[in-house]
Amino acid sequence: MTFDPTLLAPYLPDLAAGARLTALACALALAGGLALGVIVALLRASAAPLTRRLADIYVDIFRNVPFIVQLFFLFYGLPELGIELNAFSTGVLALSLAGGAFTSDVIRSGILAIDPGVIEAAQVSGLSRRVIYQKIVLPIALRTSVRPLGSVFVNLILTSSILSAITLNELTGAAKIVAADTFAPFEVYALLLVAYVTLTYLVSLTAGALHRRLNRERALGAN
Amino acid sequence: MRYTDFTVHDILLLLQGAGVSVALFAATTAIGLMIGLTWAVLRYYRTPVLAPFFAAMAELLKNSPVLVQLFLVFFGLPVLLETDITPVQAAVITLSGNTAAFIYVIAVSAIESIGREQLETARVFGLSRWQILRKVVAPQAAAFGLGPLTGLLVNQLQVTSLISVIGVLDLTKVGAILNLRTLKPFIVWTVVGLLYYLMAKLIATTCARLETRLRAHSQWKGL
Amino acid sequence: MIEIEGVGKSFGQTKVLDGVNLRVAPGEVVSILGASGSGKSTLIRCINGLEKLDNGSISIDGFRVDDPKQLQQARRCSGTVFQLFHLYPHMTALQNITLAPVEVLKVPRREAEDAARELLASVGLSERAEAYPAQLSGGQRQRVGICRALAMKPRYLLLDEVTSALDPEMTAEVLDILAKLAAAGTTMLFVTHEIDFARQISSRIVFLEQGRLLADLPTAEFFAADGGLAHPRIAQFLSKMKKDH
Repeated sequence: MTFDPTLLAPYLPDLAAGARLTALACALALAGGLALGVIVALLRASAAPLTRRLADIYVDIFRNVPFIVQLFFLFYGLPELGIELNAFSTGVLALSLAGGAFTSDVIRSGILAIDPGVIEAAQVSGLSRRVIYQKIVLPIALRTSVRPLGSVFVNLILTSSILSAITLNELTGAAKIVAADTFAPFEVYALLLVAYVTLTYLVSLTAGALHRRLNRERALGAN
Repeated sequence: MRYTDFTVHDILLLLQGAGVSVALFAATTAIGLMIGLTWAVLRYYRTPVLAPFFAAMAELLKNSPVLVQLFLVFFGLPVLLETDITPVQAAVITLSGNTAAFIYVIAVSAIESIGREQLETARVFGLSRWQILRKVVAPQAAAFGLGPLTGLLVNQLQVTSLISVIGVLDLTKVGAILNLRTLKPFIVWTVVGLLYYLMAKLIATTCARLETRLRAHSQWKGL
Repeated sequence: MIEIEGVGKSFGQTKVLDGVNLRVAPGEVVSILGASGSGKSTLIRCINGLEKLDNGSISIDGFRVDDPKQLQQARRCSGTVFQLFHLYPHMTALQNITLAPVEVLKVPRREAEDAARELLASVGLSERAEAYPAQLSGGQRQRVGICRALAMKPRYLLLDEVTSALDPEMTAEVLDILAKLAAAGTTMLFVTHEIDFARQISSRIVFLEQGRLLADLPTAEFFAADGGLAHPRIAQFLSKMKKDH
């Protein structure tokens, strides 16, 4: 039984490049997923029953179908529609769509947790629905949702490893190549585990710090 | 429409793949339950060395991608232990461990929801730690944990789709084969997605029914 | 003029308001008294459109509250102060007060802030302009709530048990301000349990019992033995409130 991590030393730049790609893809997917999640959360609160239903169905589908199936659907299906996206774009798209479903749940909870009295006070002041959502509902919901959104981001990072299945050389994809080159798969994947754990830990810490910073004087949301 | 490339045999293939997915899901859930609950019991007894070790392991398994865990076991272990591992063996080991980690967290959280006073009172009455665990803690923790457990099970079903990457002939792998053969990604992946969706819903409703049965049998209205 | 005509409202099987008629003219200070559950708060919530009417109509300066198209304009005529303050928790006191003037009345931000600071000064909270509601005491939050309502320069101020959630010391703070407002000629319609206060500053007292208006009299008459007190239910209520005080 041999365990020799030093074999990986010359390949660290490749792994670092993979890590950068992971970070980039996940950051883009978080932005996309957040925007989508806010929109879907608002749709799910809509007065029109059809809109609500459709939005609920979207969330239901993306939460009950495996991500890899969603990914393959897009990766192999989009070209049939004439949409040619490279692996990176397809991956970010898939992550955003899935992320949007989870994010919308978080934001929806945040919206529902708002004290209705606060909304009533806004309504009787004569504020329009648009302004109430823009200046009161969303700011409060987002502030209280920072920690759960951090969890969604962690999830996104872990899910991003599946993008290696469509030949994207993010961290896991890069690791596969290194494993093949070095014949040291155990060392590579063990290192990878440590890398992902560290990354997700950092994200959680940041989310906690961000929550405290945003809510310091406002005492919004549980600590 | 004429699906000349699809045959009745393909339906059998899909069902077979689904069967493999379900079998692996069931087996790894059962094993994961046993392992995870054991870890939780060790923590309940505050066993030195073992309890913190397994707690750390659970954190590691929870915060790293399942795909990387699969690669570590399937590609890494054989090299490290100088032995052979089949894809199915690797799948069982990895998914059981992964499930165990999440079961551990749910169990610990459920146990901790039970008020301290109950445990202290039971101790005062002379019950041993084991008796308390069996008669006081377990029934209530089971009731508390059932909700999160449902979510976990639905998630772990989807996680099984990743074993296709290391070659297990599950539903996703069948989908990949059909996709490659028929070049009709929309049909293939929609059907595969639908099958996973239906299975997920089946699990969710079964657990919901179990939950109502559990609550009917116990008479805890205050839960 | 606030015109409430034949208003009825039920929650499920319970009739909370039954055939209520009331008029409040500019300059009047009207108190609504009654036992808990008599429909007092519901009446206020009907006037500012938070509850829909089952029968009857309410209009403020001619704008019908029960007409969705006129509701916004009706709301601009009135300002509401709530029992539980309902300040925007993510905004400072100043921002709470300036939000509606800037967004609804399109007042330039600078102007709105100056006006807001004046209002805060008038209630003794100048140094707390940048504080968040979580950093303020109950009495301070209610004072900000009053400023927020006044910032829209409403013709009618609706106050829904605004001191019920405050301890005696803070209650006195807030009642002080309300007395000043009444003396300055602000039209006020308030629901309260503070009988003595109501007696002091109101021009008129209205008594609700199980959704029905039992009395609508000038203050002096209401507390007179041959006026309001002649009604057994009112006498019973007042003596009970005295005992609890």
